[in-house]
Formats: sequence, C-alpha cells, structure tokens
Amino acid sequence: MDQEETLKKLEGLQTVDMVSYALDIKKQSALNLLSKLKKQGYVTTTGGGHQKRLYKITSRKQRKRDKGMFDIINKYSSMKLMPWYDHQVHGSYGSEEALIDAVQTQSFRVILASMGLFNHITDWGKLYKLAKEKNCWQKVGALYDVARLYFRVKKMPLRYQKQKFLKKQFLIKRYNTTEKIYYPIKNKWNVEIPFKTGDIRKVIAS
Amino acid sequence: MITYEDQMDIFRLMSRNIKRNMECYAFGGTAMMFYGYKDETKDIDLLFEKDVDRDEFIKALESLGFSETTPQNIYISEKLKEKDIPRMFKRDDNRFDIFSKKIFKTVISPRMKEDIFAIHEFKQGRNLKVKVLRKEHIVLLKAVTERKNDFDDIRAIVEKEKNFDWNYLIEEAVWQYEHGDSWVLLDTEKMLRELKKYVFIEQKYLKQLYSAHGKK
Repeated sequence: MDQEETLKKLEGLQTVDMVSYALDIKKQSALNLLSKLKKQGYVTTTGGGHQKRLYKITSRKQRKRDKGMFDIINKYSSMKLMPWYDHQVHGSYGSEEALIDAVQTQSFRVILASMGLFNHITDWGKLYKLAKEKNCWQKVGALYDVARLYFRVKKMPLRYQKQKFLKKQFLIKRYNTTEKIYYPIKNKWNVEIPFKTGDIRKVIAS
Repeated sequence: MITYEDQMDIFRLMSRNIKRNMECYAFGGTAMMFYGYKDETKDIDLLFEKDVDRDEFIKALESLGFSETTPQNIYISEKLKEKDIPRMFKRDDNRFDIFSKKIFKTVISPRMKEDIFAIHEFKQGRNLKVKVLRKEHIVLLKAVTERKNDFDDIRAIVEKEKNFDWNYLIEEAVWQYEHGDSWVLLDTEKMLRELKKYVFIEQKYLKQLYSAHGKK
C-alpha cells in the first residue's frame, strides 16, 4: 500500500491501536509510521501523559497556523463558534482586531459571540482607532452597551462614549431593534440592535 | 520553484511594500499550497477585483526586483487571444501571474466570494488580504487556464479529497457559461473526460454540462 492509500485509509482521529488494527501491523510499526507521517506534516497530535494520545491524520499537509478571528473568539467567549472558513492573520492580532473583524462579518452568531471579547480589551485607544478606520465605532459602542447589560465588562473610558452619531447604522443589515430594553442603547449610538434577550441568555448559559 | 515558506515570505514582504490595504483571490498552485495539497509551485496566481489594487501590487513587485515577462509559451495561444490575459512578473525562479477582474473569461462569481476556503491576512506594514478559493473552484480554474501540469494538479486534488463536490463544480461551470464564459463548458467537459480515466465520475455530471450547453 503506498503512502497516499495509507493516508486515505487512516484519515481522521486515530489512536496507535486503531492504526495498528486498521493496517494490520504491530504497535511499534504503527508508532514508527505515525512518527514518519508527522515529520512529513500529515499528522498532528493531541493528548498524551494521563490522556490517550490522539493522532489527527489528513491526506493534505497540515500547515502551522497563525491565530485568526475565530481562534480569539473561541479562546475568550463562552459561546464557541465553528469556523466556516479558515481565518489567519500573519502579524499582530489580538482581541481588539478580532472584535472589529467580528462586527464587520454581519453574522448574527459571530457578533453575539464577540461580546465576550470586551472583557479582554486592554487598549481602548487602539480599538477606537481601528473602528474609526472601518467606520464602525457606533456599532462597537452599541455592542459594548448591550454586553454591559448582561456581563461584567471592563469599563470603556468616557471620552470614547460622548459622541453624536447622525447616520443610522445596523449591526446586521435591515434588522431593526425589536426589544424595548435596547431602545436607550439604540438612541445613544444610533444603531439598530437585532438581538432578543433570549439570544443573549443562550450566550450566558453556554 | 516556490515553496510554501517562500510563498509566505513573499506575501509578508509584499504587505510591507504596498502603500495601501488591499485584497486579492488566490487560486492555482498558491491556493493548493495553502490547502496543503502540495509543497511547491511554479507561480503565484492572484486575481484583483480593483485595478488600483493590482497596480499598487505590481509597483511593489517591481520594487522587489520582479520584471514583467510574456505569457507566451505558458498559456495556450487560443487563451492568449482573450482580452483578459494575465500580466506576468518574474524574478529568478519566482513568477507571479496577476489577473484583473477575470481569469480569461471566468469571473469571480458570488459563490466564489461567499464560499471561500480561507482568508490569510498579512500585516507587516499594510494589510494584504489573500482569499483562498475553495477546492472545486480551484479545479474549475485549473481546467480553464490549461497550463502544463494543470491536469496533474486537478488529479492530485480530486484523488486526495474524499468529499469532492462534483455537483457544486458543475453548477459553477454552468453559472460561468450563463454569464459569458463561452469556454468553460468545453474546458470542464474535456477535464471530466480525462479524469474519468483515473477516478469515478458519474455520467450525470457530463449530461448536466451538455444540457446547459443546449439551453443557450
């Protein structure tokens, strides 16, 4: 059996015993094979120590990843997301950048999950500057106030809040505010908040 | 040949050299390397939707010592008669094929924009956003560009992927045909016929192509 066929046969999560059973080889031979495939980039491992070691085997090479928006959100938010594309940033990227990217997606779930990032904002000036570049400070501010209704969130300096916004914006296009609780936020930032209280309770509960 | 590490280094350098933020689509060998299908490529294929972005990118390429070369001998002569041919830039063994708005007659469809496989942002100076197309689109575009080794790359993708969505590929080919790409059905049919020698492809997909051709 050549390497391509072996990889196709083993694709997925495996343990050494499963590999040795699937290929009908000794455990030591399976370990040698996995080590060789790992060197070539087809295998990554998790676990070990007290846990059973798992081998993720793919027929494509697994490249070393840099962090992206989904990684940052999933690290800090209680609501986890299943990425539908692989986002990686090769350069400096933190909670501030991820929050701005999340607001820009217009995706209901991503924006909801990104509220968890407010507690990890360390540089409000940077967040403000990034948001201003993308013309979405209104949205970030509104989302911050929504987050404050439900979570303990770090305080945003007042100088970033005292602004007038003439042009109405939508967190998600064409979705208006429906719940009374968000009307003060809507009026303060001139942004429509599409969430329902139940949606956010789900984020808190998860 | 350009290795994966070379490719990442070049993109990092480019993001340092460009004067404005920009985005482009990666397909061909570049996209295959991002996927992990192969380790080296002859060229970096990029498509820009905005001419200003493309021009700025070319300026940065030239500042890195790349100079324009001819696409003759790389693409077949029929393709080079088209209006939207690539501009090619070379330095030693490294080559960029830069397309603007179209890859010959094929455009970036709404589905291509929506269903991307990955976004790689290079932030060394400015932000260079490289959007990697999904595997079915890479195969379709390889069928369209018809360069040497393109078929081998198609085979590599199809043979490595357990869940290659043929229906998705055919739908895209039909969409492109309906939107002005008169080559795409012929190129896709030729590719499928050749591929059938190596992998199992249901006859219904060829029939879908024929019926799309009959409709217009």
